[in-house]
Amino acid sequence: MGKLLSSLGVLLILGCDPFVTEFEDSSDAVMYGANSKSDAAYDSGDVKVVTWNIRFGIAQFPFFGDSCGDDVILDDDTIEQNMAAIADSLNAMDADIVLLQEVDVSSKRTGYMDQVQYLLDNTNLNYGCYASMWKADFIPSDGIGRIDAGNAILSKYELTDAERIQLRLRTDQDGLTQYFYLRRNIVKAKIPALTQGSQDFYAVDIHATAFATDDTKQQHIDKYVETLAEIHDGGDLFVTGGDLNSVPPGSSTDFCESDMCDGDDYHTDQAEEYHKEGSYFENFEGEPDILLPLYAAYDSAIDTASYNLPEHFTHAPSTSLLIDDTTATMYDRKLDYLFTNGTWDSSSGRTHQAAWELSDHLPVSAVLNLGGE
Amino acid sequence: MKKIIFYFIIASLVFGETKKWDAHSAYLLPQKRWEMGLFQPFRYGYSESIEYSVHPLWFFVMPNLSIKKSQSDFAGFTSASQYKMVYATPFLNMIAKEGIMGIIAPEFRMPPMLGLSASWLMSKNMAGVNLTLNGGLDLGVTFGDLDTRSTIDIPLVYHRLGVYYNKWGIHTGLDVQKNISEKIGVLVDFDLRLLPGLAEVQIDPDASKLMGEYSLEHKFLLIWNKSENFRVLTGYKFVMGEYPYGSDMRLLPYIPMAETWVPIIELQWARKKR
Repeated sequence: MGKLLSSLGVLLILGCDPFVTEFEDSSDAVMYGANSKSDAAYDSGDVKVVTWNIRFGIAQFPFFGDSCGDDVILDDDTIEQNMAAIADSLNAMDADIVLLQEVDVSSKRTGYMDQVQYLLDNTNLNYGCYASMWKADFIPSDGIGRIDAGNAILSKYELTDAERIQLRLRTDQDGLTQYFYLRRNIVKAKIPALTQGSQDFYAVDIHATAFATDDTKQQHIDKYVETLAEIHDGGDLFVTGGDLNSVPPGSSTDFCESDMCDGDDYHTDQAEEYHKEGSYFENFEGEPDILLPLYAAYDSAIDTASYNLPEHFTHAPSTSLLIDDTTATMYDRKLDYLFTNGTWDSSSGRTHQAAWELSDHLPVSAVLNLGGE
Repeated sequence: MKKIIFYFIIASLVFGETKKWDAHSAYLLPQKRWEMGLFQPFRYGYSESIEYSVHPLWFFVMPNLSIKKSQSDFAGFTSASQYKMVYATPFLNMIAKEGIMGIIAPEFRMPPMLGLSASWLMSKNMAGVNLTLNGGLDLGVTFGDLDTRSTIDIPLVYHRLGVYYNKWGIHTGLDVQKNISEKIGVLVDFDLRLLPGLAEVQIDPDASKLMGEYSLEHKFLLIWNKSENFRVLTGYKFVMGEYPYGSDMRLLPYIPMAETWVPIIELQWARKKR
């Protein structure tokens, strides 16, 4: 009988992993390494940083969740081509640190490709850490099925102390939807090779809520500011960035009409929702200025004089191009940012709009002055 | 209503292999006796040598029929052959949809697909233990293009539907049942499903996709026979196998939101037609 109970105990342990993975407020990120590491020992000098929401490698695919599309699962060959193009772009940028959002590591929708490992093996980046924002054995909706998607930091130099910091869940959803929904996070890692004297060096990556209509976005930005302040107040150095799903101060805040799909109805009394989720940036008081604390405290890769210029727009829904054949809206707002408590090279901030076909977000890069040069 | 049907069908997959009054043995039901359970097919002893069974609730969305026929004893074992037919297309297209309960992505339309299965069953009572061995061949006949991205990658389901993507499969199993008192019995079974060569029909020959070939299922049930016409079963089912995403194992039934395993509870009834 004892053996029987022991065997049952083993089965219970092995066979009862959570169906949907929930996370502690703070937990370890998943560590990665390239199968073949390039020789890239840091030998002083500046450090190039990129942030990019790569839309899990589906490029302009009309995915049902974030565009006017109806499709869910892209074919493997196209995903491979898209990921190869993303890897080529990263190699061309020759970044030392890359902050990625919307990376799939084991998802039905992208053929279960481990995109973190793929990028490490196909770029000059050597180390990575990953934090899931959506991890479930099976999502019983829209054919999504198994999913594991999240944020990743890739670096030429070794990462340590990688931490996943949980962001508050949305409160404008019912319990069942919330259970199966995203658990957004900040991922933070130390890069010992870039330590400056007594200053440790950190990379911090965030993907804030896109579709919440309550104050979840404020909570996410507050937690982000708090995380950065802890590093700064500790006397250490950081580079940070991500998809903040917030427009810069002074930007337009209502994109409902430009994001509207066939059959949608917004801004009318008959509309089911007056504003389109994710396309309106005044859901609560102060939302248009939600990024002011970041601009006030830290150096931005794209400065305040430029952040609302079209050449620094980083996003448009992927199917905007399809709305009518004569209007090509490749990007019409800025949602992606880079900051540091150090100093960016003043002319280095770039928005890589030529890469618009590879995602519905564009990469932003800048060079950090480091090593006193 | 669709949700109720869907939950019932998923539950039936968990409970559906439950060993009943020798349902999975080579023994046939006595003539004119019927048996059914909450999650079991309806079985009917048509004659001394023929037994029919059908999942009544499945039938309207997934037409199915099984025939068991007695055969000559073999090596001292009571023997029977069993033939199953299922038409899964209507149900699969019902769950290929947008929104909640969209189990298959809405861009896929499943073609007409016929599942055929033939098994050989051999049973023997050895020192008070009822032993049954089974093995057979599964065929998945599709009449049109079946997109390999439309698989449902969850335990119990993936390997059963895998036969349509692989065109064929093999199954084998062992059932052991013993009465430990007049009213109480136990059942332990093991079932192995193989989908040989599944990799050949996968789009990407990536190593992680060469798997998806086997599933091992194990069940333990405690049985309380209240009478000849009613019994209650409880226990667990354990599944392990290779899937498109890698290997996985799970103890069932599992309640996602509560994140816990719960015991199987199955009620079964039987009567003899006058």
